[in-house]
Amino acid sequence: MNPADQRPAARGSIELAGVTKRFGETIAVRNIDLKIPGGCYCCLLGPSGCGKTTILRMIAGHESPTEGAVLIDGENVVGKLPVERGTAMMFQSYALFPHLSCTDNVAFNLKTRGVEKTERRARARDMLDRVRMKSFADRLPAQLSGGQQQRIALARSLITNPRVLLLDEPLSALDEFLRLQMRGELRNIQAEFGITFIHVTHTQMEAIALADMVVVMDQGQIEQAASARDVYDRPRTGYVAHFMGGQNVLAGTITSRQSGNFTIASGNKKIDITAPRSATASSPAVGDQFEVAVRRDRVRLTRAPSQAADAGVNAVTGRVSGIEYQGTWLKISIEDACGEGFVANVPDDQFFADPLKMGDPVIARWDADELHYLVARPGRAAANGSTVVAAAGS
Amino acid sequence: MQKLQTGKRPLSFYALSIFFGLFVLFLYGPMSAIYILSFQGPTGGLTFPMRGWSLHWFDALFSQQRTGDFAGAFTRSMILAVMVLLLTVAISVIAGLAFRRRFVGAAFVFYLAVASLIMPGLLVGLGVGLTFQTLGVQTKWFASALGAQLTWTLPFGMLIMFAVLSRFNRAYEEAARDLGATNWQIFLWVVLPILFPGMIAVALFGFTLSYDEFPRTLLTSGAANTLPMEIWGMTTNVTSPALYALGTVTTLVSFIAIALALGSIAIIQWRRSRPVGNVSSAKEPE
Amino acid sequence: MKVSPALTSYLQIGPLLLVLLLFFGIPLLVVIAYSFFQFDGIDSVPAFDFVNYVDVLTSGVTLSLYLKTLYYAVVVWAITLLVGFTVAYFLAFHVQSLIWQMALFLLCTVPFWTSNIIRMISWIPFLGRNGIFNNALIGAGITQEPLEFLLFSDFAVIIAYVHLFTLFMIVPIFNAMARIDKSLIEAARDGGATGWRIIWDIVVPLSKTGIALGSIFVVTLVMGDFFVVKVMSGSQSASIAMAMSNQIAMVQYPPAAASAVILLIVVSLMVAAILRVVDVRKEIAG
Repeated sequence: MNPADQRPAARGSIELAGVTKRFGETIAVRNIDLKIPGGCYCCLLGPSGCGKTTILRMIAGHESPTEGAVLIDGENVVGKLPVERGTAMMFQSYALFPHLSCTDNVAFNLKTRGVEKTERRARARDMLDRVRMKSFADRLPAQLSGGQQQRIALARSLITNPRVLLLDEPLSALDEFLRLQMRGELRNIQAEFGITFIHVTHTQMEAIALADMVVVMDQGQIEQAASARDVYDRPRTGYVAHFMGGQNVLAGTITSRQSGNFTIASGNKKIDITAPRSATASSPAVGDQFEVAVRRDRVRLTRAPSQAADAGVNAVTGRVSGIEYQGTWLKISIEDACGEGFVANVPDDQFFADPLKMGDPVIARWDADELHYLVARPGRAAANGSTVVAAAGS
Repeated sequence: MQKLQTGKRPLSFYALSIFFGLFVLFLYGPMSAIYILSFQGPTGGLTFPMRGWSLHWFDALFSQQRTGDFAGAFTRSMILAVMVLLLTVAISVIAGLAFRRRFVGAAFVFYLAVASLIMPGLLVGLGVGLTFQTLGVQTKWFASALGAQLTWTLPFGMLIMFAVLSRFNRAYEEAARDLGATNWQIFLWVVLPILFPGMIAVALFGFTLSYDEFPRTLLTSGAANTLPMEIWGMTTNVTSPALYALGTVTTLVSFIAIALALGSIAIIQWRRSRPVGNVSSAKEPE
Repeated sequence: MKVSPALTSYLQIGPLLLVLLLFFGIPLLVVIAYSFFQFDGIDSVPAFDFVNYVDVLTSGVTLSLYLKTLYYAVVVWAITLLVGFTVAYFLAFHVQSLIWQMALFLLCTVPFWTSNIIRMISWIPFLGRNGIFNNALIGAGITQEPLEFLLFSDFAVIIAYVHLFTLFMIVPIFNAMARIDKSLIEAARDGGATGWRIIWDIVVPLSKTGIALGSIFVVTLVMGDFFVVKVMSGSQSASIAMAMSNQIAMVQYPPAAASAVILLIVVSLMVAAILRVVDVRKEIAG
């Protein structure tokens, strides 16, 4: 499934070992361990301030870790200049030199290495050709559109023959339409050149569209590092489930255990769910924190006979509090279903066969196999110190 | 910068436009009178009416000692202005770069420069003159006057560089470093070229402020006069429109300097920012 | 060679600091030193004597000179503030195209880069008995006789000061106004505020720093001037700096130095007073 696995061991593998970064009193990155295989397209995903850009800059060499090692192809590069690491960085604003033509921008690295003018210009033109910008060779950056500037910035970085290309929110400056177009270009160029791409973004859909490996971060720590499909479909923690969207998280305390079922108290509702297969007689116990996720599009909605109807196992009841039309599906928000909000994504033909209205009482059901059990975050361990069952996948 | 609502202009707009027009007239009117009067006929006097039109007074200006050592003063003023220009640009640019980082004493230097800016020129001239006298060194136009003029131009240069550097995107320097440039290379190949329009502005200030400078230079130029001092000498015994001719000539020099500077800046900015053809974000090549 | 960032900053700020110390800092100290010297009629004798200060401070002439100069300063400040504010307001809020704004702004600033003396002199043929203005008035039948007070009078001095220094008000005020968020004005208008209310309650407070900067410039320039007042008043009036320049011309350095120090103190107090009202540090540092 993962194209990177089929190629012979590519260069540009990265490992972060025990990396911490402090800025004065603030800890931007906390004791991170991460392995990225060579030739992989890796996205660092998270909200502002989660530390993803700091990690990128530490790999690039523009920041140094306070503790820990950064290894590229097995060699610790901490302390080395960016140019000595075989990495190249693409900046969020592209930072194309405004006073130089596209050719001279792309040839810049060759100029610093002392390559003579005609030769470096010729090599720059070849690179421009590879990114299909040859006809813009003599233009100045201000004369280019956002997408064109991105290609020049890419060419300028790729000409240094790096093993790793680092991209700092490269698509943020583009408008929606262009963003989708340039996404594909990035992926194609990565496949063509075969180098490791590390792409920082805060947009979930972008990350899963592009990446072989998605690293979801929050507050300086890695929540989950896995393939795009795993991160979306089998999130490891409630945070990842919330951040990626598309999931409902049922979180609460276990109030009772019957054969094969748990009852958890979430908000002021009690919800019965199928217990995971890996549960033992004693763990998780009554009183433990328990979190489980169900995909929003795997939920079936039916009208409830009355508001106080008992839902049964693997179901919640509530009232419709929001209806948003999204084209092929509708986002139905349900309140009073559980502690946090509950959402069902209903296909449009299904919805319009019997349209719901605001305030209608509904029952939302799902199959037991759709349950996905989550790991509690270390910072949110259960009050009584017991650990929670870590069953990733049912 | 946002614009106000366009649409029907309020009455105040017209009132203010008229006021502005009057102000511009106020600024340029009297000077224009001088330019016209410099073409006064040979028998004409210092004020209107014009008695014929001629280049007589320009001729008188260039020809001889009766009107003072115009040629010499002019040369000296030009050379001095160029020296001040070069020094001001060099010193202001690197000082501006220094202020990007915080360092001990930064505030002191800053306030020293600002104090130098608002200090009356006469005081500075007196001080420099006395200092040289105490040291037993003769005041010379290319030494003491040069230094005194720098106390006037450098603060301007510094303030301009502040404004320019505050808009300078540090990402350019990081990108250059990422591509392997050394600090020297970053400075020469990236920072300086991007700062170039700002440097032209500093050069303009340096040149014109020096060329027209009077109070500081008066007491520090030693035996030889600069052009403003020649003009001053002529005002105290104004006898002919040759003074006006001098005014026209010297203003012409200033205008040429201004046109060159502003023109260069305009051309550079235009080249670096004009879009070519119809660059729409939806259209991509090939 | 790896140079530490701190050392780089010091190397970069070095030349500026050196020039300012050599040609401003030290000369200032020398002037202060000379103010305590004695003058025996021919030479300055090193000493530590307060005699010069006593002479200056007890002389009735000093007081009248200061009053006269302060009178000029206050009147010119008021006029340049009104004119400058109005022009800046027009440029910032009523001119809607950025290009026009820049062009008109440049139009106002170009005279700054030409000679002050020439600009000042250009008023003479304009205001004289046979000057343009009088001839126009007589020609239009408004007066029969030429107006004498126009030239070689306080009126002429003030006109010349306003002509030369209004620009120093326009630039900082315009800068400050350009930074005002236009949506504030629109919100005020939405809330029913009329033009005057908007100016008084929003624009003036937000351009405070610009007004303060402009005021500092104008006040220090007028207080330190010695040539405008001499020429435009026909030597009938005088200023502090003019008296100082006379003393310097007669090599009476110690008394001149004492005058200079006192002038310095007075001007510093005025600047400090302005700064107490408005903190301009942020504005300068950009």
